[in-house]
Amino acid sequence: MAVATAVQVGNLPSKFRRFLPSPPKIAAQIKPNSAPPPPLFISTNPSHVNPHHLRELYVVCNHSCHRFPTIDAAGRVDPIDAHKLRTAVSHSSVVVSVFTKLEFVASQSSNSSSVVGIGGNWIRRVAPVTPENGRLIGFGRAVSDLGLTASIYDIMVHPAFRGRGIGRMIVKRIIRMLINRDIYDIAALCSGKERLFFRGCGFGEDMLGSTTMMYAPSLSSYSKDEQMISAGRKLLAFPPPRDFQK
Amino acid sequence: MPALGLVVLPFAAADLNFYPRIVSSDCRCHQFALLNSPIPRGRREQKISRLKASFWESIRSGILKNSTTQVIEPPVAAEEEEELLPEEFVLVERTRPDGTIEQIIFSSGGNVDVYDLQALCDKVGWPRRPLSKLAAALRNSYMVVTLHSVSKSTGEEGNDQKKLIGMARATSDHAFNATIWDVLVDPSYQGQGLGKALIEKLIRALLQRDIGNISLFADSKVVEFYRNLGFEADPEGIKGMFWYPKN
Repeated sequence: MAVATAVQVGNLPSKFRRFLPSPPKIAAQIKPNSAPPPPLFISTNPSHVNPHHLRELYVVCNHSCHRFPTIDAAGRVDPIDAHKLRTAVSHSSVVVSVFTKLEFVASQSSNSSSVVGIGGNWIRRVAPVTPENGRLIGFGRAVSDLGLTASIYDIMVHPAFRGRGIGRMIVKRIIRMLINRDIYDIAALCSGKERLFFRGCGFGEDMLGSTTMMYAPSLSSYSKDEQMISAGRKLLAFPPPRDFQK
Repeated sequence: MPALGLVVLPFAAADLNFYPRIVSSDCRCHQFALLNSPIPRGRREQKISRLKASFWESIRSGILKNSTTQVIEPPVAAEEEEELLPEEFVLVERTRPDGTIEQIIFSSGGNVDVYDLQALCDKVGWPRRPLSKLAAALRNSYMVVTLHSVSKSTGEEGNDQKKLIGMARATSDHAFNATIWDVLVDPSYQGQGLGKALIEKLIRALLQRDIGNISLFADSKVVEFYRNLGFEADPEGIKGMFWYPKN
């Protein structure tokens, strides 16, 4: 299975890697991470998600909930409204979060490869990672009507942990949760880069040939008095009230 | 209570709300469709509302649990969330050649008889879907808007005929994203701008709630219809992809 292979690659000594089936083309475009794989805890329980850590993860991944985010000169999207994020997560039918041990997050960012020390550290090293003692490094959610359809949003993995199949693991877990509730019509809105990732997860263009459309009215056709909201860098005008009396 | 074609379930509110507000243990308000179905609803509905109640509970307890390590924001009380007030009003009223009055009534209360919906889907030529799934989808949609045609018979009150002629629904995470599904209008009522009215109402409700990512997947025949409503195809290269099990 592609997922299992991707996650275990780091475990094998280099001389055995030649004998592995070559990773699919899509995965090969993503540079595989050669550091030792971190212990992971994957959870589908929304209560394991700490809202502050989640918001930090959005920032670290530079991910916006708006499809057309405002991007500043440094290429960073504007920060997410914490209250809206909590609302969105609490109304998502499926929430998947991935945790790893704190030392691994620290060692990734400082580029040191060894975890030194015995004694006091020993307990911490052998204790399994849990949502309470671990750090959130991956997340994904889906919104569904729990009957016919579902849409996947906001799949993200901490940049230092990419290339290990964690993102794919998250998507597969979401799909499994949805299938358990008998939902097979699963959609994901993707930009160009995300399209490759989802293709690797088993997604494809709609076989029925439907066109994806988003509400993005051209402002010239609306008067300036029309109510508007902003969604990232898009200004969305309300549709004008229609007079129906015939 | 007017004698309509719908069977109203016993727990419907006594006031003018057109759907029951089912309040879970921590006061989250839902829209639930009134259903006229013999399918045993009890177990599944309880399971779903328990699931939803437990999602809220778990988010709230998750926020409170971490109070030792960082500054807590107070848990969001459901009362702070704007409630989706149901609307029902007469969109069009006209007199037929035979003298009877027809009213087309718009409603956002999710007042859909699932059998009527199935019949309407047949009329527009859609493939059949299991009734229980239809019912669940309606129940868990963020918003369901409908059009009913009411023929007011001259003379006697209480002999009106109410017919479902249009529907649209949207799922949403209540904050950022929404997707519009299942838009349909009875073929004999098409071409009058009724479909446009349904979609415009949905969009207004979503924008009022500050939900900015409104998407849908349009059949090639209706792309122009949505374009005229302000939708753009594949904006900035964003496309929808669907999951296809390989085996």
